[in-house]
Amino acid sequence: MNILVCLKQILDPEVPARDFRVDAARREAEQGSASLVTNIFCENALETALQLRERAGGAAKITVLSCGRPSAEDSLRKALAMKADAAALVVDESDATPDPLAVARVLAAAIQKLGAFDLIMTGREAGDWGAGQTGGLLAEELGLPCVSFVDTVEVAGGVLRLKRQTDAGWELIEATPPVVVTVTNDEHNVPRIPKVRDVMMSYRQPLTKLTPADLGLSDEARAADGYYEVAELFIPQKETRCDFVAGDTLDEKVDAFARRIVEVTRAL
Amino acid sequence: MNDVCIILFGAAGFDKAAQGLAGAGRRLAVELGGSLRAVVVGEGAQALAPEVARVADEVTVADQPGLAEYQPETCLTALAELCGTRRPRAVLLAGDTYSQETAPRLAHRLGGSAAGDCVEVRVAPGGMVRVSRQVYGGKAQAVLELKRSPAVVWLRARSFTPAPARAEAGAVTRAALNVRPDTRARVVERGREESGEARLEEARVIVSGGRGIGGPEPFESELKPLAELLGAQLAASRAACDAGWVPPTWQVGQTGKKVTPELYLAVAITGASQHMAGISEAKTIAAINTDPDAPIFKHCRFGIVEDYRKVVPLLREKLSALMK
Amino acid sequence: MNAAAVNEATREIYWNVTQVWVMYALLVPTALVAGYGVYRHLSRWRRGQPAARFDRPAARVGLLFKHAVAQRRTARDAVAGLFHAFISYGFVVLTVATTVVALDADFGTAIMRGRFYLYFQSLAVDVFGALVMVGVLMAAARRYLRRPRKLVHTDEAALILAAIFVMCLQGFLVEGWRIAATNDPWAAWSPFGNLVARASQSLMGPEAIRVWHAGAWWFHLATSFAFVAWLPYTKMMHVLTAPLNIYAANLAPLGATLKRVDFERTESFGVNTLGGFTWKDLLDLDACTECGRCTAVCPANTVGKELSPRDIILGLRDLMHERPREAFGLVASNGGGVGEVSAAACTTPADKEPTADMEARKPLPIIGAVPATSPVALWQCTTCAACMEACPVFIEQMPKIVDMRRFLVMEEAEFPDSMQEAVMSLERRGHPFSGTQATRMDWAEGLNVRTGADVREAEVLLWVGCGGALVERNQRVTRATAQLLEQAGVSFAVMGREEKCSGDPARRIGNEFLFEQLARENVGNLNKYGVKKVVTACPHCFNTFRNEYPQYGGAFEVFHHSEFLARLVEEGRLKPVPESGKKVTFHDPCYLGRQNGVYDAPRELVQISTRGGAVEMPRSRNNSFCCGGGGGMSFVDEPPDKRVNQERAREAVETGADVLAVGCPFCMTMMEDGVGARKGGRDVKVLDVAELLWEASRPREAGKQNL
Repeated sequence: MNILVCLKQILDPEVPARDFRVDAARREAEQGSASLVTNIFCENALETALQLRERAGGAAKITVLSCGRPSAEDSLRKALAMKADAAALVVDESDATPDPLAVARVLAAAIQKLGAFDLIMTGREAGDWGAGQTGGLLAEELGLPCVSFVDTVEVAGGVLRLKRQTDAGWELIEATPPVVVTVTNDEHNVPRIPKVRDVMMSYRQPLTKLTPADLGLSDEARAADGYYEVAELFIPQKETRCDFVAGDTLDEKVDAFARRIVEVTRAL
Repeated sequence: MNDVCIILFGAAGFDKAAQGLAGAGRRLAVELGGSLRAVVVGEGAQALAPEVARVADEVTVADQPGLAEYQPETCLTALAELCGTRRPRAVLLAGDTYSQETAPRLAHRLGGSAAGDCVEVRVAPGGMVRVSRQVYGGKAQAVLELKRSPAVVWLRARSFTPAPARAEAGAVTRAALNVRPDTRARVVERGREESGEARLEEARVIVSGGRGIGGPEPFESELKPLAELLGAQLAASRAACDAGWVPPTWQVGQTGKKVTPELYLAVAITGASQHMAGISEAKTIAAINTDPDAPIFKHCRFGIVEDYRKVVPLLREKLSALMK
Repeated sequence: MNAAAVNEATREIYWNVTQVWVMYALLVPTALVAGYGVYRHLSRWRRGQPAARFDRPAARVGLLFKHAVAQRRTARDAVAGLFHAFISYGFVVLTVATTVVALDADFGTAIMRGRFYLYFQSLAVDVFGALVMVGVLMAAARRYLRRPRKLVHTDEAALILAAIFVMCLQGFLVEGWRIAATNDPWAAWSPFGNLVARASQSLMGPEAIRVWHAGAWWFHLATSFAFVAWLPYTKMMHVLTAPLNIYAANLAPLGATLKRVDFERTESFGVNTLGGFTWKDLLDLDACTECGRCTAVCPANTVGKELSPRDIILGLRDLMHERPREAFGLVASNGGGVGEVSAAACTTPADKEPTADMEARKPLPIIGAVPATSPVALWQCTTCAACMEACPVFIEQMPKIVDMRRFLVMEEAEFPDSMQEAVMSLERRGHPFSGTQATRMDWAEGLNVRTGADVREAEVLLWVGCGGALVERNQRVTRATAQLLEQAGVSFAVMGREEKCSGDPARRIGNEFLFEQLARENVGNLNKYGVKKVVTACPHCFNTFRNEYPQYGGAFEVFHHSEFLARLVEEGRLKPVPESGKKVTFHDPCYLGRQNGVYDAPRELVQISTRGGAVEMPRSRNNSFCCGGGGGMSFVDEPPDKRVNQERAREAVETGADVLAVGCPFCMTMMEDGVGARKGGRDVKVLDVAELLWEASRPREAGKQNL
């Protein structure tokens, strides 16, 4: 079984709000002193793949693929430390934030170059832009079926049994490979911590580096083929001050408090 | 064409999400100067159609046997066919899992652009559809211009107000479709989340008590009824768990659970860093505390400086009145 | 008696005993058996990794005198110290006396004469012999009547006490009967022997005395030789290993005992086999006297957890003694622990054991091989080093625990979830407080604190630490410290966003790799600004800077804020005016006090700030009891009924103090939780010493606000 897991390197989502800045001109977040990390849902996907391989007694090969800045290599190295078998990076030096379709096209081209895969996994969304589209668009680009919000993958007689989360509960889906799945988190796919030895070894493992040009994707074609554009990016003015509900009596205060609660919960 | 198409799943009924979706669709259609068409798919579509017709200009029911149950591939193909033939300017969907799953792929099949979890959908001066959505975990807000047509947008749940009913109900037609089941991926079993205690990490509303609660009894007599009223999960600070008032599984904080509710109501919790580390992803924090200088208020959207013993019983009364 | 007679005073050696050559013949097997025992120990220790423990001989000899000869640590327990002194000094005297006899009788040196004979060979030996017996009786009474929980009750322990007692008793019988039968004119110089003589003369005839004397003499010889031969096989081996272990002790502060890992060359990170320890670690195992003091002071053990440093040492010792060939990978082991060990660690060539392949001859994993080394226990250690401070023979328990943790973390990635979260946060963000919303400079809001390039100009660097920056409660401590420095006119700056965790939690949790990364990064940044002098309110950072960064090229003069502030007061740069007169008790942070010997500076601040209202807790200074937060434990939830911080908070509250003063951000968190978890009772505030001093120093007109 050949598994491919797509990984995205993102700005640490835990960067404190007070440290978070946006570059209005570039319409992108500033990295500042924050670090870059692998998107958590991508790590959930990798963990799901690793567990699948373990259950299969090792009879599966896991390739990790990323597309992004050269620094994305760190995410792939960490995946190798977690014991992915092979890694490939499509280096995109351009400064602009690519749209989901552009990313899906690069990934699709890379996947076709890397070989035939039975299972292609992505995270359900990324902790930066959170578009939640890469998996679906990738499936369309590759002409494959797609199952979203999967938390468990099993193989039975050449058929993939996918458990996924829905609003009401869960669904069990049987899929014939090849298939694209997007992975969400549950208590069973918390990414493992790599062993330090494996972290050290990961830097000695081979890593395939590609450019969009290697994949036959020219910059012009990509630029012309816009999907969406970020018109504005800003930090919303948040009330950092607490509203102490006003009122002369306890009753008035509690009444105001109750109204504020209902305001929030009504939307749920 | 400047039409707007909304997609609804029959099984969900005309719930608040669907009403908000119709409202957003109507407003966008007005802006574009087009009509609002609804496609209602799957089991229950026929029953839902008249309700939708009160706010839409046209309703297409797609409840063929192959579509009765949601099957991702089959449904997507059908929707692409239904939407594609009429070339709408925008396709709007709700924020449920099926819609989220469908939208980007539908956009791809229609040659359009998708954007999700949007809190605002408008038409930009140049005629392009513009959406607003939260990014970076809510730390920033982005405005996106969808460059292709149609704009396929799924909406953040309940961020939109319903549409006013129209004088004349729209026409309801049955879709003429040749549904070909695509069995490459098929749902073979469905289950509901076992009722009972849902996971704290998944809770939308949390009522949490701290050291100031003073004992196990008020958790039972005061906070539990309040939580039930709000459909909330109960939680606690480490101090309350340490004191043995509530089980350790309730603990939220650095060494406890990290929660992500829409509303976190902190009752008699001071808000030490260790506790705040567990609720940094909460959308709205509100607090009841006697000490106006308690650190919790620094992180609150709104608060009340009073003894919870006086506040909570009254709050329950007020809430049940307001929620009727 | 005249002087001439005194000069000739002696006794007839052997006297009634014939065929003395038998004794010398018996000496050969005795020496062989004992020698083999010692040799076996030596050969096992030699299987350990290298360790440089023979440098600075003068300091080592000094230590030897203080703790092997003067037995200073042993004497900390008054009763045990006393009987140990009786027995050990008695044995030394008796051994010397026996040697004197041999030299005199069989080597013709004729030294057993005159005053030496009377004062030493008769009186001193007689008295010390009696003291040994008293010591044994005291030991037995303590062991079997008082039954301290810290002791291990083995047959061996009973047999040793009995053997010593019987040997001494025989000595007195032999002596007494000789005096009785020979009418020894110097009998008075052997008061206890003389007592036996008088008693026997009234009970037995002269011939019976002669017969009994000969029998007792030979029996005494047999038991003594047997004891000597048996000694290396028992905990009595400590008469040799303890002095050796003290000589080879770690001479650095307790905070500097962790070993470095050579990541380029090491086969297996951390330790999961006996052979992975250094020879000194293995010597430690054989130096243990089973006194149990380490476990008695262990905070985790005290609150009822599984961890027991004594049982780790004894468990590993028993493995080494009972299954040495498996433990060192000489034969196939059936496992018993966790984890895998690199096959390269095997020492025997495969062809010698045709049935066992390399895989099967992996050395026995030690983690989990005995209950004491279970991961559960290993993850309860706060690395407070109370065990090491208590050990009379300088065994290094805590570094072994960290060694095993290293294996679990670096080779197995098996450690508590909440610690994993802290480690992941350290990797990603350079601080262990995952989920915090605070930033490195939040505490400085409204203060004019310099950062960045200003660091180069400043006189001192205030190293804030993650706790001081990112934990709300400790931000107030950092503010107080900064305001005091400002008031004293100290030119200081902070690293701000360039500051990262010192690496202490990573190192104590066992992720040495991460520690090295953080250490190199911090040292590089600090050196970039030419930092020379560092002040920090975190004893963990303090310890790392002081004892660990020098190995990474970081040569800084490091002060705990209490030291620096106390000096500012001394120099008159700060003029606190105490007004509270509150009762304050100070809790020693392990990494400041016990591990680095700073006890007085924080106490001075308490005195200065409160008009001398200081009270001590029963456990203080080097004997202080951990807050429970060291060694990464502040990131782990302890079971509610087994919390170290609550035990310490109880002790603090019981002093009647109004304020529990601390000097560490982790202690602050743990003590606030501990004090807060009490149901009812007095209100006790937890304040850092800098807060106390600031309260006494801050401008009064700025509005009075009680802390």
